[in-house]
Amino acid sequence: MPPLLQLLQVTKNFGRHFAVQAFSLEVEHGESVALLGPSGCGKTTVLRLIAGLEEPDAGEIWIAGRRVANAGGNVVPAYQRGVGLVFQDLALWPHLTVRGNLAFVVASTSTAKHQRTERIDDALRRCQVDLRLADRYPHELSGGEQQRVALARALVGTPRLLMLDEPFSSLDHELKVALRTELVALRTQMQLTMIYVTHDQADAEVVVDRTVTMREQRSA
Amino acid sequence: MWGWRSPRTIAVSAAGAAFVLFCVLPLAFMVVTSIIHPSARSTLSVWLDSRQRGLLLNTALLGGGTALAATALGVPLGVAFARVTLPFKPGLRILLAAPALIPSYVMGLAWLSLAQSPWMSSLPSAVTVLTVALYPLSMLTAEAAARGVEPRLEEGASLVAPPGRVLRRITAPLIGPHVLAAALIVFVLAISDFGVPALLRVPVFTTEIFTAFAALYDPARATTLTIPLLLLTLLITLVSVSLISDRMIVRRRRLAGRHLGLGRWRGPALTLMIGTASIGLGLPMTALLSEVRGVSSWTELLQGSGQAILNSLTLAAVGATLVSGLALALGYARSRARRSVAVALDALFVALFAVPGTVVGVALIELWNQPTVVGALYGTDAMFVLVYLARFTPLAALILAAGFRRVPPSQEEAAAVSGAGWLATMAVIVVPQLKRDWTVVWIIVFTLAFGELGASVLVTPPGESTLPVRIYTLIANAPRPHVAALALLQATVVLAPLALIALILGMRREQ
Repeated sequence: MPPLLQLLQVTKNFGRHFAVQAFSLEVEHGESVALLGPSGCGKTTVLRLIAGLEEPDAGEIWIAGRRVANAGGNVVPAYQRGVGLVFQDLALWPHLTVRGNLAFVVASTSTAKHQRTERIDDALRRCQVDLRLADRYPHELSGGEQQRVALARALVGTPRLLMLDEPFSSLDHELKVALRTELVALRTQMQLTMIYVTHDQADAEVVVDRTVTMREQRSA
Repeated sequence: MWGWRSPRTIAVSAAGAAFVLFCVLPLAFMVVTSIIHPSARSTLSVWLDSRQRGLLLNTALLGGGTALAATALGVPLGVAFARVTLPFKPGLRILLAAPALIPSYVMGLAWLSLAQSPWMSSLPSAVTVLTVALYPLSMLTAEAAARGVEPRLEEGASLVAPPGRVLRRITAPLIGPHVLAAALIVFVLAISDFGVPALLRVPVFTTEIFTAFAALYDPARATTLTIPLLLLTLLITLVSVSLISDRMIVRRRRLAGRHLGLGRWRGPALTLMIGTASIGLGLPMTALLSEVRGVSSWTELLQGSGQAILNSLTLAAVGATLVSGLALALGYARSRARRSVAVALDALFVALFAVPGTVVGVALIELWNQPTVVGALYGTDAMFVLVYLARFTPLAALILAAGFRRVPPSQEEAAAVSGAGWLATMAVIVVPQLKRDWTVVWIIVFTLAFGELGASVLVTPPGESTLPVRIYTLIANAPRPHVAALALLQATVVLAPLALIALILGMRREQ
């Protein structure tokens, strides 16, 4: 069985700035990997390339044995890659309720209509979101609640790869530790394949099996 | 810095007083006068007779039809500008925005030249001409709103849904309030327009006010007729402003939504843009040009209208200078105000800008046509400048406020800590960062003032004229080529500053 994810010599430039240079990575099914490195080293760009939000200038990206992008651009669009992403700023849709946020994702899957509510509730419960919050809008939630909803939204589509971009960076220490513990439990329980971006070594050691350190990129 | 005797307080207070005097007081005075005037009770019946009900219907249809059509045309164009990578985008944007700055009656004249049929004197044709004149507002609003959508929100959605669904479910609801607000403003501007309905002989409130004032010599009736139009304008404007709160002016963001894969829309988007620019600008200007070939004597034309052209250029320049000076202080005050005050000021600025020119004209006459010393300005060219101050100061203040918001208050605080006074801080630190905004505002106000007709036609002193008033009075009794030549001149003077703005924006982009 091929690795779930393969990045082969992937390069991405923004004008004269090398965001990612000849970067390679393999992630096996069920494995969790942390991308570590200083700010500006291209960690987020790697996630965006895997998700299909950016196109590589060189190299190839394979997901589950299928080439999804190469130097010519994205072969498989973002919404067909089966990837979940928790953005650093969460990016919850402000005009939709918590349930609406998750429903948008579920409606994009093949889930039968009568099963959608059950699936949304299940995802919320797994992420320890009180179901009474389901009809609230994102701005009506606390920071921790928003974080859990963002995680639930990423998981409700049952992605084969979950990616988190410094998800706890804006939280206070206590909440960060609590949510990190919940994430580890969730990963074990759901056998998630995960890429976790952070610049905090201690953070990475708690959450993942393996760490990959990226170096700072330079401009041309 | 806000002490009672501080230069900042004095400057802002003086600007506030001038704003009240030039922009608010005339309208307030007119409303109060219309209520307490002895003839008011008898003229109140004019609101209710069958003719007024017909006018109301026409006015509503003109506004509603234009708002719908301008939104249907402008929103796809705006979203395409924000989401599709296109060649020559700045140039295309300028071309497509140009019809908004060309006076609507020039557009009306051009379309009359194009389609010389009885159908042109109808409500649908008035809707068509005003749509061509006002769709840029919907387009620019939709583009700004789409650019204002946080890219992450669409990116998150694009991980699970195809581009069409992301546009429908995420982008559209987020830009919806802005689009609706723009539609309401278009509605207000359409019902406020005087030139097009007057030219195409569609009876609406603005033409009725003009007739009551200029043809029937019945100022009381004219004043009474302004009230429902004024209230409707203010109400709709306030609703539209409340929809977008303090997000009226958004900052430009990088081209978001590249991942949405809208590249295949490039061809259709370009076709729509070029087609719209051809119909909205190319066709009318070509029609005027072809009419101009029939001018028998250019000397005669210039001799007859030379003074009006000179008056327009001079008065518009004076008006633009005064308006942009006053707006600088007002824009500063708005940008540094508390959020609630800022939202209220935005609403006031937009509402005042949307007040129909004919209403402003009647209000200025009511206020300044006095037997006392106050009336010294009445009957002079200063009335035109008062028109420009009343009509365009709010818009200029709104634009400059957006500019001031780009300069963080901490820059002023840093200067204050360094020992600089407020005036020095403004002169050396703040205003230099806004010199391009200020220039653009001057050009916009000059352009609008140069084309102003609705109020000018009412306050024009005997023996004096501006170019728009001259064109309007010549329509009925001069050869068509002469009128077309003057209209083309009008459009050229408007389009030249637009090219200058494009140049300034181009320079900014390079920097």
